[in-house]
Amino acid sequence: MCSRSSLEQEFFKKWVPGLQICSSLAKDMSFLERRKAIKLSADVAMATARDGKTCWSRALIANASKQEDKKIIVRTILGSEFERLTKSSIGSVVCEKRVRSKKILRKSCTTIRRVRKIRKSAPNRVLASSIAKRLVKKRTQVMKGLVPGGESMDEFSLLEETLDYIVSLRAQVDVMRRLANTLVLSIP
Amino acid sequence: MERIPGSGVRSGNCRDNKQEISVEIFQIGEEIRRLMTENLLQEAPRPETGSSFTALLGLPENQAMELLNSPESYDSPAILTADIWRERGKDQKTLSYPFNCSPTFPSNAALVERAARFSIFAAAQNSPQTSSVPSNSSENSLKLKNETTDSESNPTILNKNQISLKRKERQKKGLAKKSKNMGDESSKLPYVHVRARRGHATDSHSLAERARREKINARMKLLQELVPGCSKISGTALVLDEIINHVQSLQREVEFLSMRLAAVNSRIDFNLDSLLAAESGSLTDGNFPGMVMPSMWPDVPVNGTRRQQHHNQHQQLWHVDVGRDNHNFISQPNSLFSYDSTN
Repeated sequence: MCSRSSLEQEFFKKWVPGLQICSSLAKDMSFLERRKAIKLSADVAMATARDGKTCWSRALIANASKQEDKKIIVRTILGSEFERLTKSSIGSVVCEKRVRSKKILRKSCTTIRRVRKIRKSAPNRVLASSIAKRLVKKRTQVMKGLVPGGESMDEFSLLEETLDYIVSLRAQVDVMRRLANTLVLSIP
Repeated sequence: MERIPGSGVRSGNCRDNKQEISVEIFQIGEEIRRLMTENLLQEAPRPETGSSFTALLGLPENQAMELLNSPESYDSPAILTADIWRERGKDQKTLSYPFNCSPTFPSNAALVERAARFSIFAAAQNSPQTSSVPSNSSENSLKLKNETTDSESNPTILNKNQISLKRKERQKKGLAKKSKNMGDESSKLPYVHVRARRGHATDSHSLAERARREKINARMKLLQELVPGCSKISGTALVLDEIINHVQSLQREVEFLSMRLAAVNSRIDFNLDSLLAAESGSLTDGNFPGMVMPSMWPDVPVNGTRRQQHHNQHQQLWHVDVGRDNHNFISQPNSLFSYDSTN
């Protein structure tokens, strides 16, 4: 798919300066820290390649820029767009809190309702469907934990974000794998 | 219930509600009537329902049959309907075919309804804003076509009651939802124009619920296609399981690869990435040639004349490529020593 290779190229272009920063900082870092820095730079580059259109990318950038020590990496990668993207991500964080409080309210209501429902639902058909619903709900919870920024999404947007996230992850893995292979090969 | 003479009234209703589209509809209707009277004498009536129906859609036969037989495929109809309505603007001649097959009309109605439903849901799935108008006009013109054929083809009195009933129900719900749809065209939310099916609940809550469910199902289909091995699985929970596994495995790979890169990084400096950047820009298929990599180290004894040539080529690329940190590279002979020292 041509869009996929263009995504990969864009990701790579954004990632290279991040890697350079990592390598320049590499002298004082331990191995684990270095790995985390590389992973972070890759993730932020991926999110930047999406240019703030998707929710997960904004959430990722927001999380990354919260921690002070990693901020410099984010800043270099984002470059000029740093201000714009972090501002929008801060807004999404605020929305998250609001959504979270709403969710707590909703959860309390549904638990009350559920208790009432269980007593009523004797027929097996209803029971089966409620079991199925519970399974699906559990899995959506897990997915919300996986996708960055997934907590503040409803089901439908969660599915959309997952779609986009999977595509970007694949591109990221591709580029990283190729880079790692060529680097390994180049060592005589 | 009022029958076919009410067709004029019904289209009048359309006009009262929606000015722009109804004008269009009326024009199309006039065209249709004219073409029909023209071609009624010329064309031989086609016996099969399939061919007449396909002509109605303006599709080639096999694609339309596919549409009919696979109600679950949302992807292709989206593209097809978009194309149909683009073509429709160009030539009206395709409308002329089906109206001669009066004996096949009753089955046509059912098929038309199904196809209209496909176009709705397909439109809802992809770019609902842009295709909401075509889907609207498609339903309207389809409805109008039914009406006009009904009015013209008087001999087909079989099942006309059924059809008119269906159409009344359809239109009632359709009009109710249409106003919402038209109003929200500019909004970002994809409003799905849903029709109440026969025998299903028709209050707005269940309609909205059903629309929401259809949206979610469409997305699940896309996800199923994306994740390998998911298309055979049925059931939401299992599909979600697969998706979760896939995402987790991808994230683990990212971690693993970053660990590899960190390990490699300890031995090679990343200034050579500038070269890769230059190369990847030219490479569409990005399998980085191994020969690119080591060629630009002037200090390290490089084996092979081929690499020397590349080295000369790429030196210019260096200075051109990275805009920002050029001075880093010029001072890079110092940092290249990391390769030597850690070897």
